[in-house]
Amino acid sequence: MQFDPDINCPYASGTTAYGDVVLSSRARLARNLEGFPFVNRASTGDCEEVEILLNPACKSEDDLQLEWVDLHKLSPVEKTMCAERHLISTNFASATHPRGVMVGPELARSVMVNEEDHLRIQSIKPGLDLLATHEDVIAMDQRMEDLVAYAFDDQLGFLTACPTNVGTGARFSVMMHLPALRITKEFRQLYNSCESMSIAIRGYHGEGSETIADLYQLSNQVTLGYTEEDLRAMLEDQFLPTVIENERNARMKIIQQHAAKLDDRVFRAQGILENARLLPLNEAMDCLGRVRLGVSLERITDIDINAINQLFIDIQDAHVQWRYGDNLTSVQLQEKRAELVKEKLAA
Amino acid sequence: MTTCDHCDRPAIYHDTRVLQGVTKTVNLCEVHASEAGIDLSPNGFSISLNPEMIGFTFSPTLNTCPDCGMTLAVYKEKALLGCPECYLTFKEKLIPVIANLHEKHTQHVGRSPRRANADIDRHISIRRLLSDLERAVTQEAYEEAAEIRDTLRELHQKEDDNAV
Repeated sequence: MQFDPDINCPYASGTTAYGDVVLSSRARLARNLEGFPFVNRASTGDCEEVEILLNPACKSEDDLQLEWVDLHKLSPVEKTMCAERHLISTNFASATHPRGVMVGPELARSVMVNEEDHLRIQSIKPGLDLLATHEDVIAMDQRMEDLVAYAFDDQLGFLTACPTNVGTGARFSVMMHLPALRITKEFRQLYNSCESMSIAIRGYHGEGSETIADLYQLSNQVTLGYTEEDLRAMLEDQFLPTVIENERNARMKIIQQHAAKLDDRVFRAQGILENARLLPLNEAMDCLGRVRLGVSLERITDIDINAINQLFIDIQDAHVQWRYGDNLTSVQLQEKRAELVKEKLAA
Repeated sequence: MTTCDHCDRPAIYHDTRVLQGVTKTVNLCEVHASEAGIDLSPNGFSISLNPEMIGFTFSPTLNTCPDCGMTLAVYKEKALLGCPECYLTFKEKLIPVIANLHEKHTQHVGRSPRRANADIDRHISIRRLLSDLERAVTQEAYEEAAEIRDTLRELHQKEDDNAV
């Protein structure tokens, strides 16, 4: 697997239709193999057999161009980088049992083998495009199905280790930047409508993570009783357009009613990013979020929104270590992060 | 000494069943047997009974999956099931949980597996061999286990050759 943070950005949403609010779209299918215990009760031998059964998906000359990556062969920094890119989960990165990930070109497609379920098939695309990610995961799903029989029940659908995923095993999610809804205190409304529509709203790193830089992941909570197409359409076509419109309206309201306050927040953040000599991760993320709001409202015109989107990933600890060396002290890490931010924003 | 399927304590409850031709043994310590709802009192304890001799039937109070040994107590602790069979074993208890998680839905709609490809035979063969291997090792039939391992190796080798 080749990491090239300068090219492969799942958040290059700047030019897409809803790129001011939606950074990326992701579809994920959870699948398990018939006749094998789920991973939490599987022996090392079971996990290895599952890998052997699925490995041929990477040997064929088909369009998916999947490459098998053995997690044991990646350095700790590389494993964490995969997690920081949402290519794999944090638990998967730190686990010790036999496991691997199949990755497609530009790291947009991935199939985790022996995560919580035997297969976690996912596709990430920039901007709002759940339809394309869905088509992608279906293609990968069918490829895997050529090799193995899935655990399936006529009543409950695809059987998963956790009953929260049973049925379609499908989870659609979008990464959104919602600073104005927070500033205008309209977030309670969003939480309420998420609850009534069974949409989960989570922080940047997913389940249980803190909110940072006003970045949120919104995803379907229910996986049973609807088709995959219904679940995708409910989120992408029915729910998200209102959220995007509300965020845009809230941004306009801030410009009209609190322009000076907005500019102060935005340009203070830009000042920190361009002048700080040491940048802790949380402060950098927070400032990037504010500058992103300024760029999307054209208060700042000389910074490309995609540069900011890219930096959300590039300034994560393992990405900085990968670029500058993995033996950095925490102060050196902050120093290198500050240098990187300055360089990217000036480009 | 046989240890518990869920911890390192000695197993005092042993339950062997044959399902779809595959022998499965559940070994539980006092704590996990009790959590699984098994009556360990002198009158209810049945460690020495041979299931075949007593004409074994599934007990509705036995909250242990015959395929993977998962108990309801462990499920409640980890929120994860142990294998596809767990859904059948615990169906009665799980359906209300599933309905609660999925807007009262308890029926899947949408895609089903295609299962049309011949390659799946390989999956089924390997699965059967693994079960046979587990049984052979449990019964200390090491010669048979070695033969099964050879067959597994051959199957893997065949795949590698196909790839080249």
